[in-house]
Parts: sequence; C-alpha cells; structure tokens
Amino acid sequence: MSAQRQRIDGATAFLLHARPFSETSLVLEVFARDHGRVAILARGARRPRSALRTVLLGFQPLELAWFGGGEVKTMARAEWLGGLPLLMGKGLLLGYYLNELLLKLLPREDAHPALFDGYAGALAALAHGATEPAELRRFEKSLLRELGYGLALDRIAGSGAPVRADGVYAYQPERGVVQAREADGVSPSLTFAGKTLLDLAADDYGDPRTLAESKLLMRQLIAHYLGGQPLQSRRVFMELQEL
Amino acid sequence: MAYHLLQRDPGGAGRLASALDHALKTLRRCARCNTFTEDVVCDRCLSPRRDSSLLCVVEMPVDLNTMEQTHAFNGLYYVLMGRLSPLDGIGPRELAFDRLLARANDGAVREVVLATNFTNEGEATAHYLAEMLRARGLKVSRIARGLPVGGELEYSDAATVAQAFIERRDY
Ligand SMILES: [Zn+2]
Repeated sequence: MSAQRQRIDGATAFLLHARPFSETSLVLEVFARDHGRVAILARGARRPRSALRTVLLGFQPLELAWFGGGEVKTMARAEWLGGLPLLMGKGLLLGYYLNELLLKLLPREDAHPALFDGYAGALAALAHGATEPAELRRFEKSLLRELGYGLALDRIAGSGAPVRADGVYAYQPERGVVQAREADGVSPSLTFAGKTLLDLAADDYGDPRTLAESKLLMRQLIAHYLGGQPLQSRRVFMELQEL
Repeated sequence: MAYHLLQRDPGGAGRLASALDHALKTLRRCARCNTFTEDVVCDRCLSPRRDSSLLCVVEMPVDLNTMEQTHAFNGLYYVLMGRLSPLDGIGPRELAFDRLLARANDGAVREVVLATNFTNEGEATAHYLAEMLRARGLKVSRIARGLPVGGELEYSDAATVAQAFIERRDY
C-alpha cells in the first residue's frame, strides 16, 4: 500500500495546537480517538476566506479525514461536530494545560480511546463552568495510567502491605508508595497522608487536605515524566493569577 | 518571496527594500497606544476630537484599522501586538499587560472596550484583561459575537450559529 493511499476517514478528534506553516497553511496537532496524537498539514487554512477558520477550533469536537504515510499527514476534510460550548475564562486556561500535557507526554500515533473519552469529559465539565481541581486530578491520573505509569496508591511498594489512612508516606515515581521514613532525602513537602493516597485512588476529593496534597503529588509525578521540560501553560496561568 | 520578486520585478524589489529599510529605521511604538508610528505619540492619540474616556483594546494594528473603518468608535486605542498563547509561552509578561494597565489608569479612561479576536487565544486575553481592569475599578465591555450583518442562518457556519444561540439575549 503506497503512502498516499493510507487514508483515514471520519476520525473524531480534538485540535490540541496549530502552528503556522508557510504563508497560508497550518500544521495541526490533533488528538484523535482511534489514532492518538497526529500531526496534520491543513493547506490553505490561513487564507483570509478559508472556511476552515470556523471549523478548526480548539476544545471542540471535530471530524477529520487525512491521508499520507509520513510523520505529517495531509488533511482531506474537516467538520465541526458541535455539542460543546466554547471554553471561557479560567476554563480556557485549564484546557490549555490539558492540551500541553497531551502534547508533551503522549507519543505520536498511539491510540488511547479511554484517555480521549476522559479528555472529552474534562472539556465538557470545563465548558459547563466546572473549574474544580478534582477535574484536573482525574485527567492527570487517567493520562498516567494510559501511558503505562499507573499509580499503585493503596499498596506499599515491594511488600504489598496496605496503605493505612493514618500513615505518612512518600511516592517514588518508578517504584510506588514507600514509608516516609524510608524515603531518604525526601523533603517533608513531598510526604503525603495515607488518607490522601487512598482518596486519590478512589477519586474522592471531598477532603481539603486530599485536594491540596494530591495536587502536589501529581505535580511531582508529572514533572518526573516530563523529564525537566517546563509547562508553559502553568507559568502563564501563575502569572495571570498574580495580576 | 524575495527570489520571486527579484526575478519578476527588480525595480519593485528595490523600492520595497528601501521602504522596508526606511520603516525599520524610523518606526517606533506610540508611547500611548503601542502601535507603529514615526513619532513619540501618534496623531490619533493626540487628536482633540477623540473621546479619551473610551479605550479600545485590539490585538494588532490591522484590527485597529478595521475598527476605524466601522466609523462606530471615536475613542482611543491600545494595541497589544499579540494575544495570550499559553502553549507558545506568550503570557502577560510577553504582552506587557502592565503597560496597558498604566495606560488605562491615566485618569481619563472610564470604559475599556475589549475587541480581541473571537479565537480561544483572543477570548483568554479578554477574560484576563477584564479581571485585571475591573479589579482597578474600570468599566469593561466586550464587543459582541454573532452572525454577520445580512447573514442568513442557512449560509452561516455551524459554530457561529451555535455560539450565537448560546449567547442569545432578551429581545
Ligand atoms: Zn498612539
């Protein structure tokens, strides 16, 4: 089968990012439900009267067709599917954060339908005005699970002994939960109540301490898997909070 | 582009080169509205016929030109020279939000009209500018979004009609 003949039709996808290419085109990074993260050249998308301008919208469900066998595909068709209000305000910034995580952590052309559904669900919550941190934690957890970095939060690494709600623990990215006293050189800010770990495992964010500590834990883990790459959306978000 | 021009129209290429060179040497940013000008403060910002209590914020100089063509606005402008773009690392620091804040706080401005684009980036920019300006006691408004004048539903794109529906108003 020649590269030109590899054609994908009717792919449900979200646009994660678009960058200008030549005078009139865009290179899109999309997250397609059944194809994962794909780079696609959209010819003519930047022309002033291009009909694609009102179709290629971030945070909106799209239906795409593309062809080509190389790293960057060529777009054949794009349709706006609708059903989701545009993101507004703080929800928009949180949406950019989700997109940046996918852009930086998801390898190209590796399908993750469950993660796609989690992303679509998180966007729907943001579009309807939910900006609770719990939405972000759920998404971060499903992202790590899908990437194969699943978190074992209710068992101690090695022994498999259950985590106790009243214990104090640390989390080592490649290993799992360890007793806080075992984690050599761990700063107290990176120790977590057993209850936090159990709540996070159960996606129960009712306890304010769980919310605060799980944010720190997820930030530590994501920083580990990003391997030192900074998150631009987080920096911009922090600067905007200071205005 | 340069290659094409040199082949087809060497004289035009020369004129373009000297025009660009002139622009590079003489153009600067207006101290008040931030757009390109040859002066410290541009003619528009100095005009006594403009309403200094209204300040319209746009992304780029071309957007200012479009607003001017409407003849619907007689206030003054501030040109951001960009928009928030978190994934490209463009934040409030890169856009010098503090300069706009100083401009809006000159004592004469009563209302800031946000006319950034209706893209995700333009919308994020408008949201944070609104929060920042309202916190300083300024009245903030946003241009409306909807169908084009003379626009028929049948011929309009679905995303525009959907958002016009979501943002429908009492009538
Ligand atoms: Zn000026």
